[in-house]
Amino acid sequence: MSGMIQNREKFLNQIASRLDRPRITGLVERPKWAFQPQQEVLKDASQDELLEVLTEQCKKIHTNLYTTELEELPATLDEVVTSYGGGPIVTWKDARFSKWGLDQLMKKDWPKQSIDVYEWDYTKGEENIAKAEQANVGITISEITLAESGTVVLFSDENKGRTISFLPATYIALIPKSSLVPRITQAAQKMREIYQKTGHVASCINFITGPSNSADIELNLVVGVHGPIKASYIVINDL
Amino acid sequence: MAMKIGTDQFKERVDKGIHNSFMRGAVAGAQDGMGIKRRLATEELGNWEDWRSHGEEIRQHVLKYLDYYLEQLSENVAKRGGHVFFAQTKEEASGYIRSIVQKKNAKKIVKSKSMVTEEISLNAVLEKEGCEVIETDLGEYILQVDDHDPPSHIVVPALHKNKEQIRDVFKEKLGYTKTSKPEELAAHAREMLRKEYLSADIGITGCNFAIAETGSFSLVTNEGNADLVTALPKTQITVMGMERIVPTFEEMEVLVSLLTRSAVGQKLTSYITVLTGPREELDVDGPEEFHLVIVDNGRSNILGGEFQAVLQCIRCAACINVCPVYRHVGGHSYGSIYSGPIGAVLSPLLGGYDEYKELPYASTLCGACTEVCPVKIPLHNLLHKHREIIVEKEGKAPISEKLAMKAFGLGAASPTLYKLGTKMAPAAMNPFTVGDKISKGPGPLKAWTEIREFPAPNKERFRDWFKNRDKGGK
Amino acid sequence: MKVTLFATCLVDLFQSNVGKATVELLERLGCEIDFPESQVCCGQPAYNSGYVKESKEAMKQMIDTFMDAEYVVSPSGSCAFMFHEYPHIFKGDPVWEPKAKKLAEKTFELTQFIVEVLKIEDVGAKFEANVTYHTSCHMTRLLGVKKAPMILLKNVKGLKFTELPGKEQCCGFGGTFSVKMSQISEQMVDEKVCHIEETEAEYLIGADAGCLINIGGRIERIGKPIKVLHIAEVLNCL
Repeated sequence: MSGMIQNREKFLNQIASRLDRPRITGLVERPKWAFQPQQEVLKDASQDELLEVLTEQCKKIHTNLYTTELEELPATLDEVVTSYGGGPIVTWKDARFSKWGLDQLMKKDWPKQSIDVYEWDYTKGEENIAKAEQANVGITISEITLAESGTVVLFSDENKGRTISFLPATYIALIPKSSLVPRITQAAQKMREIYQKTGHVASCINFITGPSNSADIELNLVVGVHGPIKASYIVINDL
Repeated sequence: MAMKIGTDQFKERVDKGIHNSFMRGAVAGAQDGMGIKRRLATEELGNWEDWRSHGEEIRQHVLKYLDYYLEQLSENVAKRGGHVFFAQTKEEASGYIRSIVQKKNAKKIVKSKSMVTEEISLNAVLEKEGCEVIETDLGEYILQVDDHDPPSHIVVPALHKNKEQIRDVFKEKLGYTKTSKPEELAAHAREMLRKEYLSADIGITGCNFAIAETGSFSLVTNEGNADLVTALPKTQITVMGMERIVPTFEEMEVLVSLLTRSAVGQKLTSYITVLTGPREELDVDGPEEFHLVIVDNGRSNILGGEFQAVLQCIRCAACINVCPVYRHVGGHSYGSIYSGPIGAVLSPLLGGYDEYKELPYASTLCGACTEVCPVKIPLHNLLHKHREIIVEKEGKAPISEKLAMKAFGLGAASPTLYKLGTKMAPAAMNPFTVGDKISKGPGPLKAWTEIREFPAPNKERFRDWFKNRDKGGK
Repeated sequence: MKVTLFATCLVDLFQSNVGKATVELLERLGCEIDFPESQVCCGQPAYNSGYVKESKEAMKQMIDTFMDAEYVVSPSGSCAFMFHEYPHIFKGDPVWEPKAKKLAEKTFELTQFIVEVLKIEDVGAKFEANVTYHTSCHMTRLLGVKKAPMILLKNVKGLKFTELPGKEQCCGFGGTFSVKMSQISEQMVDEKVCHIEETEAEYLIGADAGCLINIGGRIERIGKPIKVLHIAEVLNCL
């Protein structure tokens, strides 16, 4: 259903009149920009080089970085969760967990150890948020990973609740090595491509760079304010 | 809180600022620390000037076609089921938001940091409606708990407070019992605010950059508060200054990069969130209803004029963090929520010369602000432009100064008068001269010599020496 | 090489020793110096205070005065920069804009002229002392002269240089700012003096009379044992 637009004409006419021209009715072409410095950053870096950059950057953003082969992923994830004090855990509903061999861990081993694992289920409505709020660990998957800044990019949908990355006390992002790109530039291009292809943008796209923090009190950095207090990235060698 | 803060006159405000030693220590420390971080983050790119030029060309292009991009934005927001309200005045903006609050019968509102909502006095309007309005940015929250103390910096609003002061405020107002450690203070705020997010009826945010092509907008934080404000309440209202818009995601990312590096020296902040419309049909979190309020409030009067470049601003505060005047007087001296060089340019434009005529003079025109601006706003030139208008169009300069400058115009333009004047100077200054200096000067020199010595005019002017030397036949 | 000296009003009236040093230095480097008597003030004090109309009269006088000069050299970065601003100030004026452009193109600050035009990096000076240097805002940021004074000072024999902490910070002069906003100016110049003291330098050197009169005046008032010199005076020491 389309939303309402109010007071627009008068408002935009005022702008056009201040700019001393009539309202623009046709199409404005995006100019060919004279400067494009963002394309130069880590321009020809390989996936391995990008991983190195990401590793270095994680030290600056208070984030533990683990690299693992696919076979080792369950053990690595278990180790990180244990280091965060175990469950409750909340995750997206995503076929990749299964594809990456995490069923045994998530559906059998953890429950056996009385670690509660909750998988996002939109049919349950508000209960999802209550679960996320009580969770100790939230686990999601990075769609695009920005080496320069150490950022994971998430696209929301009904199975990928936004709050999984924000409400739990700690946060783990699973990062396929193939998702590494130099910087936010490539993510923005991809977002545009998706939009132009499908005419659709996810209602929420998160760029997450480590745990939440604030320097609002005497410029002292406090890690862990409204969102997660700790964050870990697990890079999976999928290449 | 409106744009104007406090009731003191400029001189009183500056006096208070200069005598607030904690604040000055904090500001100097912040400038030094953030200055180094900004410098490292910009220099490591190796081509920062190209980045600035790109930022500038994007902002200039958008301002040139602002009506087009705002129309495109509003169409795309509506397509996704969001409502758009164009507000020419602050009253229209706050009135619209009040009407939503009434319709929803909302009692509790959580907000993430937004300068434009301060500008339109939104909190006061909503509190009058009987709403509880809770700021969730840690710095803003501290100020709000402390009986609405005004912000003193556009990025670090509670910069002027120390942790002991914050502990005392938390003790008195929130029953806090722990120490003044920032970690403990922040943990307490986290605990208090968690409950608020979960029980709020409406979430209100500002907008760093709207994206015309997709009807999206982005929010930039380190705390993650904006994400909870936009994920949990059923209704979301986003308020944006009308110029905060870009064509596509590609320009957004450049401006976000410029913003985070310039503001805090980070490659990106912890959370950058791009939101489009309300939640989708099957989504569980995110708002069911989304309103975008686009605010003019005096901005269109700046368009098309000699101050248009100020609308390029992306609110990074880099200019504030290098300003040597801000360093010593602090944010409250500006009497506006917009402080520092950007505030000294913007406040007179939005709030008028009557209120803010001193601000353009609170600068040595040293150009430090212009040098760091990531979108190349010629800030010191705009300060000078204000002075020109205050003198020549507004006629707000003191009469004694006008006379002195008139005399300057006459004297300096005529070599004869100039030579005569400078020749007479030693004799004229003789009564005030002791040795080779003047310690208690007359007229305009009085303010100078209250602080420092002034040199006595040379007995022999340089030009006389030069002439005599020539005559001496070298 | 023929050099026309734009001495500046501060030097003419209060710092004639700086003017003398500039003349002697440039002559030693092989220049022939000319000082047109009809020069006045560049107009900056009035211009920066917002009195554009009044200041333009002085500017026109200066443009005419230096019309025939081959090179205009000034021992002040701020005043030299003012000449570079003239074309912007007269923008759109069919008579004065082209003239202002010509003037701007041939105007140099003293150290800039020595290094960039004369291509001299060592003027053969000797000055045995601990010094620090104040980088004036207009000269470094607006005129863009950052390296020249450093190059020249580095080659002065016997000179021990310590960098000034917070060197890019304004000293609080700002022309009429120093009297209009004297309370703020005082805080700024005090911080500058503190930083100078930290270097333990015997001399503070600078290239702008305005800044030096401000900093020097404050040093003298609070009685610090630091002497203030213009860079021309140092480069003229043999």
